Amino acid sequence: MTLLSGLLGNALLSGGVLALAGMGELLAERVGVLNLGVEGLMALGAVSAVITVASTHDAGLGVAASLAVGAIAGGVFAIATVLARASQVLCGMALTMGGLGLAATIGRPFAGQPSAATFRPMPIPLLDQMPVLGDALFRQSLPVYLAYLVLPLALHLLLFRTRHGLTLRAIGENPAACDAVGIRVLPLRFAYVVLGAALSASAGAYLTLGFVPSWSDGVTAGRGWIAVSLVIFAGYRPWRIVAGALLFGLVNALGYLAQARNWGVPSAFLSMLPYLVTLLFMIVPALLSRGRPGATAPAALGLPYYRDQR
Amino acid sequence: MRTYTVQRVPSVSGRVRTGATLLSCLASVLAAGLLLALLGLHPAALGLQVLHQSLANRYGLEDLALLAAPLAMCGLSVSLMLRVGLWNIGADGQFFVGAAGAAWIGLYGPSWSTLPMLALMGAASMTAGAAWIAVPALARLILGTSEIITTLLLNFVARLGIDWLVTGPWRDRASSVTAQSPRLPVAIPKLPRDWHLGGMHWGLAVVLALACVLALAFRFTRWGYELRICGANRNAASYAGMAVNRRLLEAMLLAGAVAGLGGMLELAGTVHRLQSGLSNGYGYVGIIVAVLAASSPLGVVVTGVLMALVLNAGTVLQTQGVPSSAAVALVGLILLSAAVGERLANYRLQRIPPAPRPGQAA
Amino acid sequence: MARTELLIRPLVQLSGITKSFYGVRANQSVDFSLAGGEIHALLGENGAGKSTLMNVLTGLYQPDSGCIAIEGHARRIDSPAAAIEAGIGMVHQHFKLVSAFTVAENIHLGWNETPFRAPAALLEARTAALSRRFGLAVRPSARVGEISAGEQQRVEILRVLARGARILILDEPTAVLTPPEVAILFAALRAFRAQGNAVILISHKLGEVLEIADRVTVMRAGRSIETCAAQGASRASLARLIMGDTSLPPMQESGRAVADDAAVRIELRGVTVRDHRGIALLDNVDLQVRAGEVLGVAGVAGNGQRALSEILTGNLRPDSGTVLLDGQAVAHPTPRRFARHGIGHIPEDRLRTALAADLSLAENAVLREYDRSPVARGPLFVPGRARALAVRIIDDAQLDRRDPSLPARNLSGGNQQRLVAQREARIADRVLVAAYPTRGLDIGAVASLHAAMHRLCARGIGVVLISEEIEELLDHADRIAVLFAGRIAGILPASDAESERLGLLMSGQALVPDAPDRDPGRAA
Repeated sequence: MTLLSGLLGNALLSGGVLALAGMGELLAERVGVLNLGVEGLMALGAVSAVITVASTHDAGLGVAASLAVGAIAGGVFAIATVLARASQVLCGMALTMGGLGLAATIGRPFAGQPSAATFRPMPIPLLDQMPVLGDALFRQSLPVYLAYLVLPLALHLLLFRTRHGLTLRAIGENPAACDAVGIRVLPLRFAYVVLGAALSASAGAYLTLGFVPSWSDGVTAGRGWIAVSLVIFAGYRPWRIVAGALLFGLVNALGYLAQARNWGVPSAFLSMLPYLVTLLFMIVPALLSRGRPGATAPAALGLPYYRDQR
Repeated sequence: MRTYTVQRVPSVSGRVRTGATLLSCLASVLAAGLLLALLGLHPAALGLQVLHQSLANRYGLEDLALLAAPLAMCGLSVSLMLRVGLWNIGADGQFFVGAAGAAWIGLYGPSWSTLPMLALMGAASMTAGAAWIAVPALARLILGTSEIITTLLLNFVARLGIDWLVTGPWRDRASSVTAQSPRLPVAIPKLPRDWHLGGMHWGLAVVLALACVLALAFRFTRWGYELRICGANRNAASYAGMAVNRRLLEAMLLAGAVAGLGGMLELAGTVHRLQSGLSNGYGYVGIIVAVLAASSPLGVVVTGVLMALVLNAGTVLQTQGVPSSAAVALVGLILLSAAVGERLANYRLQRIPPAPRPGQAA
Repeated sequence: MARTELLIRPLVQLSGITKSFYGVRANQSVDFSLAGGEIHALLGENGAGKSTLMNVLTGLYQPDSGCIAIEGHARRIDSPAAAIEAGIGMVHQHFKLVSAFTVAENIHLGWNETPFRAPAALLEARTAALSRRFGLAVRPSARVGEISAGEQQRVEILRVLARGARILILDEPTAVLTPPEVAILFAALRAFRAQGNAVILISHKLGEVLEIADRVTVMRAGRSIETCAAQGASRASLARLIMGDTSLPPMQESGRAVADDAAVRIELRGVTVRDHRGIALLDNVDLQVRAGEVLGVAGVAGNGQRALSEILTGNLRPDSGTVLLDGQAVAHPTPRRFARHGIGHIPEDRLRTALAADLSLAENAVLREYDRSPVARGPLFVPGRARALAVRIIDDAQLDRRDPSLPARNLSGGNQQRLVAQREARIADRVLVAAYPTRGLDIGAVASLHAAMHRLCARGIGVVLISEEIEELLDHADRIAVLFAGRIAGILPASDAESERLGLLMSGQALVPDAPDRDPGRAA
């Protein structure tokens, strides 16, 4: 039974990265901005967290640093895409390359060393005594609970139960309609792109302080891109993003298990699994629901907003 | 009362747009220089050193051409898809599988003489590259799945696949290096020694010829016109009776084939062994090469050289104790400024004419 | 100058409004005043500056100079929110609604009285209450994307009224309405006026303006030309004010009886088209387009016009039924095949369908002839010849921008339409299918387009004119087919048709039992 428990625990832990990054991306996409820079944001968040804990030995400060750095990088991205209305695809690619390059450059002295502080487990009393599930689910660290319960709940309530959420979703659907009723489209877009970027960057801190836990060049390994795809096939809904993240965590954990137990599959193929599974999820559901409109993207996703359209 | 205001003009000529894009790229390079100055380095001296090393002697020029060739191939691949309004973020993966296809022929194929062998390797690389983009292409056309993400995901798969090949079945057991294939039996011949770029292989000529052929095809064939219309407005293209999906599929498969051929040229001309370091993110740099060139094939050759200079700067920086990854960051910065500059070209500082007195004639 | 000597203090006073865009003055020292308790029509050609003026009043644009006073107090309206605050509400021509949202969500969007916690049930209950209070029937839980244009308009009006608007601006409100719906709208506007509120009505339909407006202001070339009482004005006098000195080409004969034995160019037999949900867009349609006639197609937008024009041009395949070109059944209709056969197509949404806005005029002008001589030589495309052909098309279309390398985006809407019309008329050897070809055109351009249409007819070419303006059809069509809910509700000769009868057909309240004299003789 420790096998199952370990598998579940590992799945939960590794899926958390995707859950955080995906919810960050969700915020940006819901207000109509496609941020393809998640991978770069994660790298920046990861490296800033590692550097911060190296001198402070405080994981909380590390997360705070990643949030701040993510907000700054997101601010640059938002200036380019929301205010200057540059191509969101290009700026996202630029953020990915710039973030990866910058993170590798400033992180070089720290590469390969174990992080100086990591998340501490926070057992939930009573529940952690449960057989199998207790170990797997209820002896995790605070960020895991945040990523799986608190944040999705908060985002769900915000987006679908409040006046403000109505406004946010409308901005992603039809900014001109929002403008006409007096909603300030660009400031709100800007704010939520920055907030989303901060959240995505914190996924990097989670990676280097909770999951791996050390910095090395390429530690993000395409997780940012998987998070972007996750948002799409989760139909832009917080709970489904979390469920999808857990699923990917499971795929990951199975890979580790296979490697540890030496099932005879070359490790390269095991490492391919997450990407192939993502690809599968991008294609198969669409294939099955052909002709029927499924969960659709916000209608104005990727389009810059100009008041005087011509 | 305000007398000046910033206004947006609906469209600007290609020349203005290109000018604004290049200007803002220059600005970003200057900004990066400023950053280096703040770190206590001498950006002007470094810049001169980069130019000197790359352009002042024939070895530098050769290296530059060797680096520019794969960048231009990836740039051509990306620009082919940009023609029809699609993004090829997966040129890196297509480059790798193209190289792998060529290596397979080279290592395990027939033992013909050099030229037919190279032709067969080229064909294999193009087939492999096209096959690699086929799934994203079909998903895009049939299901509307974003080609950006699907092509990108396959980059990771391709790299891991190459890793497996060169550490497993295709590993060179005679060598102590653990992650490369044996040396290929054939290589692309070098240009004549007395040419200015002697030492560079004939692959360079292939790149230039391909750029010219594409430029001619885009401008002087009905196919090129149809691609242009399909890229600008798919509805208008099908309204005019064009086979839109077919044109898109052709553009995508061709893009994959071009990137794959780029991998073959790099393998058979420069590296001679399949290895994980074959592409240093060329596919990603290819995006900016294509964007800076406004997806013009001949422009891609020029911007390919420019970006090769930037990557060379990374090598020079390395000698100064700055990690080579700084060059990747610089590429990102340039791409961001290019994207912003392209849009800022539409803005003009406009003087507001004084309001006429009432009753005055227009 | 405007004669606005009103004794009462105006509800809205715009003074000396000037606004320019990239050097072009869209508004030039415009004065405009609106009194409480009036319906004030704002008239003018496209580009006369009406929209700019209204965008200034609703806070979307900031004027370069000039000021706004509401109830005698100067007021800065620097954002749409400030305009709403000042009691100004606008119902746009292209509705500004979120189509993925429900009616209730749209009503409550961006409204400061929306409760912070906003579950769907609460919003729907509040919407139902508002709907009763203002007497505008809407279904709170329906998705906006799935309701009729008329209901969408009610949602927009309700949204504006709920926010306490006293000044209602309506831009071309009747374009999407059936005649009975127009009557309901006008009744609501009169009730609104009776409470001391005011309405600004932008419209091209002069008859309507004379029916409901109290005063009329005419704009031309960015200036306010004249304000006068609607009483005593006539359609002719208003048209003269709108047009200025330009004279109209003489009106063509219409309603000619085209001989019954004229060749049938296109025939539809029992054609049915369904959308992806299986709903019939066209339902068992029989129709003939004859050589040398103008076949008008009347109906409220959204009753199958798009599908009909696409079927007639090969852009759509019927799910059942047959399409015949010159008596030959077409097994696999494609746009190319129809174009080759000499069928031109002016689609309803030119920017979305007929033009590539980012490409040059030259590239757009040759879109229909790029694959034939002289532009094409085998698989080759000869840019020089393409350019020469483009210059000719641009000249014939009398565009105001003649540089063929200019992007099509730079043309005004009217000039884009002229380019498309000229291009399509060139290939239309047999039939020209024109969907709303006069949309967005000035009165003068409309007249020359109609003249061009009649010239085609005189050459024996059949013209299908899809329009929602009954007057246009009565003036120019020989026969009028009425579309309702994807079916042909009736086909009348234009000489027998009256607007009331057409109105009834358009709203589905009457069906003409297959006018037997017009029934196609079923001979292949």
